[in-house]
Amino acid sequence: MSAFLQYVVSGLTIGSFLSLVALGYTMVYGIIRLINFAHGDLFMVGAFLGWAILVPVLAANVPVALAVLTALVLSMLLTGGLGIAIQAVAYKPLLRAPRLSILISAVGVSLALENGVLLAFGAGYDTYPQILSFAGVSLAGVRVSYAQLGMIALSVALMAGLYLFVHRTAVGTAMRALALDQEAARLMGINVDRIILLTFFIGSLLAAAAGVMEGLYYTQINFFMGFLIGLQAFTAAVLGGIGNIPGAMVAGFLIGFLEAFSAGYISSRWTDVFVFAVLILVLVVKPTGIFGERVVERM
Amino acid sequence: MRVFNRLRGVVIVTVALALSGWAAPGGAASGVIKIGVPVPLSGNNASAGEDLVNGAKLAAADINRKGGVNGMKIEIVPADDACDAQTAAQAADKLMAQGVVAVAGGYCSGAALPELTAFHRQGIPYVLDASTNPQLTELGYKEAFRVIGRDDQQAPFAANFIATSLRAKTAAVLNDNTTYGKGLADSLVTALGTRGVKVVFNDSITPGQSDYTATLTKIRGAQPDVFYYAGYYAEFSLLVKEAKQLELKARLIGSDANQSPVLIKTAGSAAEGTIVTTAPLPQFISGAQGFVKAYEKAYGKSAGPYSAYEYDAVSTVAQAIKAARSTDPKRITAALASLKSFKGITGDIAFTPKGDRTGINYISVIVRNGQFAPYKKLDKAGRWVDGR
Repeated sequence: MSAFLQYVVSGLTIGSFLSLVALGYTMVYGIIRLINFAHGDLFMVGAFLGWAILVPVLAANVPVALAVLTALVLSMLLTGGLGIAIQAVAYKPLLRAPRLSILISAVGVSLALENGVLLAFGAGYDTYPQILSFAGVSLAGVRVSYAQLGMIALSVALMAGLYLFVHRTAVGTAMRALALDQEAARLMGINVDRIILLTFFIGSLLAAAAGVMEGLYYTQINFFMGFLIGLQAFTAAVLGGIGNIPGAMVAGFLIGFLEAFSAGYISSRWTDVFVFAVLILVLVVKPTGIFGERVVERM
Repeated sequence: MRVFNRLRGVVIVTVALALSGWAAPGGAASGVIKIGVPVPLSGNNASAGEDLVNGAKLAAADINRKGGVNGMKIEIVPADDACDAQTAAQAADKLMAQGVVAVAGGYCSGAALPELTAFHRQGIPYVLDASTNPQLTELGYKEAFRVIGRDDQQAPFAANFIATSLRAKTAAVLNDNTTYGKGLADSLVTALGTRGVKVVFNDSITPGQSDYTATLTKIRGAQPDVFYYAGYYAEFSLLVKEAKQLELKARLIGSDANQSPVLIKTAGSAAEGTIVTTAPLPQFISGAQGFVKAYEKAYGKSAGPYSAYEYDAVSTVAQAIKAARSTDPKRITAALASLKSFKGITGDIAFTPKGDRTGINYISVIVRNGQFAPYKKLDKAGRWVDGR
């Protein structure tokens, strides 16, 4: 039983990163029907920006909490800006081109980001300072560190914020309108281009948050770190019904549990197999995902 | 994921090959002797690859300063094998197209195997500096040599250390499913059995993930005295940290590839007390002290665990070229095989008929105060005691 609960904790931790990244896939797909394969790399860029900001800020004797907050917020804003730039340069000119062109453009952006970071920071590992302590609580043989709780809480808070933004604000309503019918939204006077840019901004911002959190929690960052989590988060987005925001949030945690339980009860060497088997299974059996059909409104 | 990964790797390498194709094969004719150094320069093990190329360049500089070999200068030609079998085969082709007459390098055994096969077909000798899988010298290729030990030599050492020095009764063995990790883990499980240590957990992980707490939870449930990881440092760094966070009681031990500064950097205070079984490091070899200092001066960081072995691999090749009085790969191979006790910085170098180094030994190091230190040290009475 204690092992089971410990796996639940692992799954929640993994899921809190996956969900944040999955949201970016799902939001962009909901708005312009593009699977943004560069999204995992925005997560990686976010982690590197956070590191590049955090290290000098800490060196300048800024209090740790303030330094972390600065790195997190600045990295989120900068990566959000990068998302806007990518949309403007690589995707916008291709919105009316055949679907394949924009997809290839996305793969190109992914390669450009990876190799850009490779050139700028080198191929080896860079390390976040060990800020989070190993301290935590043990309950009935289940060990939870405060850092883990913090990561899960921050992730859930960001997702709740996004949910409220999309459902309670005028801009959020415009986003949902766009996802429903772009032409009708345009006729209603919604500035479609600006809403698309905003979607990219928010998606990239959440990916950067996950990236900085990953850096703080696991401390090890590398130019290739966005690849695997990108594919896993994409799987989560598909599982949740691509385009469906609450679906991506829940499915991110489901994939996290799948990873933890398959590693715990079977073997870690099978986790990728299980995760991507789910992707294939969903695509074949229920392409709309587990939440896709019930929710008529996509976002 | 692997398929995507490979596909992209193929595209990149193809483009790189097309671009580099302009460099005409020159080789020895131009008064330069080209020695190939295939190592990972991208991906998870890139920093280890850089350490090796640095070691090779230092060796070439030292040799060239003394007038080169047979009146010709040594040139180091690195190639990125990305620690991946397919990329490695292309790296080997690329090196041969560039006209290398001998090869000194290799890191991941899984990548070194296809490289060795490719070089064997052209009769080019390959002196391995860090690839420890036994199979490399068991294939019967006369071109295969290595200046490092084999995993089936490390495994009995590690088993003996676990049973005798640590007095452990039970052990968990985890590997990363690579040629190196799996091979070493299999040898270790056998060796532990003969030493009477019970293996209570034996499994593989998928490398490249961030969270291994589920696997560690399983290990914690098995309550082993020691936990041995056979694999590379990127994953071990995370395992060490996550083990601390899960309050795993077992003593953590890593295989030789984990003797990396990355381990201490990533795992930080959690790395304290972690043990690594390894070939003797340059800083603990009396003959390599000059090398350690020269390396730090040249590159502004300390030498990697295998940098000195790569230095010796290049020097050994140079020595063989000198002895053969030829840059013909077949003659260099013959000269390497008949090499008699060449004085390298890691000790005397000679090869068994299979191409393995004679008289290799292993040591255990422990992380103390953020540094690797010998596990055993001589006390004042001249006895070996635990270095804790």
